[in-house]
Amino acid sequence: MKEGFRQSMAWLHTWSGLLVGWVLFMVFAAGTASYFKDEITFWMKPELHAVSPTAAPQAKATETAVAFLQQHSPDAPRWFITLPTEREPSTSVLYLKPPPPAGAAPVERRRRFDVALLDPATGQAVTAPRETRGGEFFYRLHFDLHYMPAIWARWIVGFCAMFMLVAIFSGIVTHRRIFKDFFTFRPKKGQRSWLDAHNVTAVLALPYHAMITYTGLVTLMFMYMPWAPQAAYKDHGGTEAFFAEAFPGGGRTQFKASGTRAPLAPIAPMVAAASSHWNGAPVGRITVHFPNDANAVVSIARAGTQRLSYDQPSMQFNGVTGAQIGTFGDVPKAAAETRGVLYGLHIGRFADPLLRGLFFLSGLAGCLMVATGLLLWAVKERQKFAKTLKQGGRIGFGLRLVDGLNLGAIAGLPMAMAAFFWANRLLPLDVADRGEAEIRWFFIVWGAGAVLGLLRPTLRMWQAQLALGALLFVLLPVLNAFTGPAPLTVSLRSGPNAVAGFDLVVIALGLGLAGAAWLVERKRRKAISKQAAATTPPGLAASGQGS
Amino acid sequence: MGALLLALVFAASLAGFCALSLAMDRHSEDVFGRGSTPGAWRRWLQLGGTVLLCVSLGASLQAAGSAIGWVLWLGALTAAALATVGLLGYAPRRFHWIASAAAAAALLGLLACLLLAASGT
Repeated sequence: MKEGFRQSMAWLHTWSGLLVGWVLFMVFAAGTASYFKDEITFWMKPELHAVSPTAAPQAKATETAVAFLQQHSPDAPRWFITLPTEREPSTSVLYLKPPPPAGAAPVERRRRFDVALLDPATGQAVTAPRETRGGEFFYRLHFDLHYMPAIWARWIVGFCAMFMLVAIFSGIVTHRRIFKDFFTFRPKKGQRSWLDAHNVTAVLALPYHAMITYTGLVTLMFMYMPWAPQAAYKDHGGTEAFFAEAFPGGGRTQFKASGTRAPLAPIAPMVAAASSHWNGAPVGRITVHFPNDANAVVSIARAGTQRLSYDQPSMQFNGVTGAQIGTFGDVPKAAAETRGVLYGLHIGRFADPLLRGLFFLSGLAGCLMVATGLLLWAVKERQKFAKTLKQGGRIGFGLRLVDGLNLGAIAGLPMAMAAFFWANRLLPLDVADRGEAEIRWFFIVWGAGAVLGLLRPTLRMWQAQLALGALLFVLLPVLNAFTGPAPLTVSLRSGPNAVAGFDLVVIALGLGLAGAAWLVERKRRKAISKQAAATTPPGLAASGQGS
Repeated sequence: MGALLLALVFAASLAGFCALSLAMDRHSEDVFGRGSTPGAWRRWLQLGGTVLLCVSLGASLQAAGSAIGWVLWLGALTAAALATVGLLGYAPRRFHWIASAAAAAALLGLLACLLLAASGT
């Protein structure tokens, strides 16, 4: 049997999409949420909503942060200071604790450092917020998954992303009428409508889909394909040397303490010098290696705004004399810059709120593309069983499995995401390992949705899960009003904008889910009336339709 | 100027896609009823639509710089195209009014931007 190119591509598109579709839906949904991970984290820390940090110039914020660190941890091996931005108005500091004396029990990784949020103007620590992973959970989930080693997860997600790339390009070949059907969406036409929705969400956001899938692979390319640097640098210091040479933007990172104390030079002038070296671009992060030691070194990296590339140049200063040691990554090589731009495009850190919103919208289109694709497979497959069903038979195991997985993945995931936010506000504050407890609720709800979906993949179940997800999302602003100091009525008028934005977006998402539940209801009624028409005499069917 | 340019990016891409869709028989029928075709207007709608998308690109590059401008433009195109599809599907009777309004806004915005640029130099 000889098949045309297009048929074989259609086959490839169908199966490459189906096999990894459920993971991809989660990756798309969690990745889309990650565009607003800072805002999500902020919403999940209501203690911070009533605090409005006073804006201060970078020099002042640096001074106050250093003063705080000198007071709390003058002997730390390293300080990290992230200067405030428009999105994150507080200065955030992280300081490593001095290593335990030799022979003492090793400290758990998470207990080896402390973090604090500071008011940039005063350097006072703002109220300690509740323990939560916040938006960071979705960000990690979309490539590290959960409950498994990150390396395995990254291989799984990378495998799925590769399939996605195959599905995208085979999909372009399969779709014969990209331009003729560019604007075509015919609602209320059964399979036709599903195909239209799949095509529209895929084609109209195609630049995004192709970009995000390809660049997603690029972000982890040295893990997936480490062989070239491994071979080339085999006798020249290994991959470590390769990274130092290829991406010099970070400067040197390995330093040794001298053990002799020496006062730390003022850092604000270094920030000013770095900023003027970058033509006035703001400074992002300051790293102080061995503060108050004779070998102290201060690294200053540029803020990741205004440029596409992920790699940012940095400068290093002697921490005692304040003299400049060097500048790094000012003129990146073409290959490194290419990777930097591809990486930067994926995480979109350069995006202002408007562009971030557009990324979010395209991400939602991606979710819908994957979801409609999965449903389309089931719709088409079901037609093969039309005759069997009519004779009272059952659908095949494969279709039943796909139906169940579709239900659990597509309707269950939004429900679980909403449950995560509910757990954030309702769990007692003193629960042990609270961040992990919130995450557990996410997986409990998702797991329940998936199990119920596999047991009873019916329209009723679709409707129930979509409606529950809708309810949980729409009511989040109400929950916020009762458990936080910034209900929508306040946040809309006087901020914080991130809280108002979160509340409005979850309402919109909830209404979208409610719309989907309503569509299922209509389909269910139609199916019932059709069944009634088939089993009852024609005279009774007409009266039955009205109920 | 910044906000004006951004408004121009979106108005021009929406108007551009509306014009391009009306140049197609199927969507002409959606909007103006069965059997209607763009006829002699087709070329003009296609030309106008293309020009509007180019205006959108120009405004986007001006607003966000030559690197991020491209990303903004593609994002705006996606949003505008999705809006066009939504309008065709769910508001075909009002479609030509909304399209005309978008086109008018784009032209006014373009004019305002050019005037501002001219007075600025």
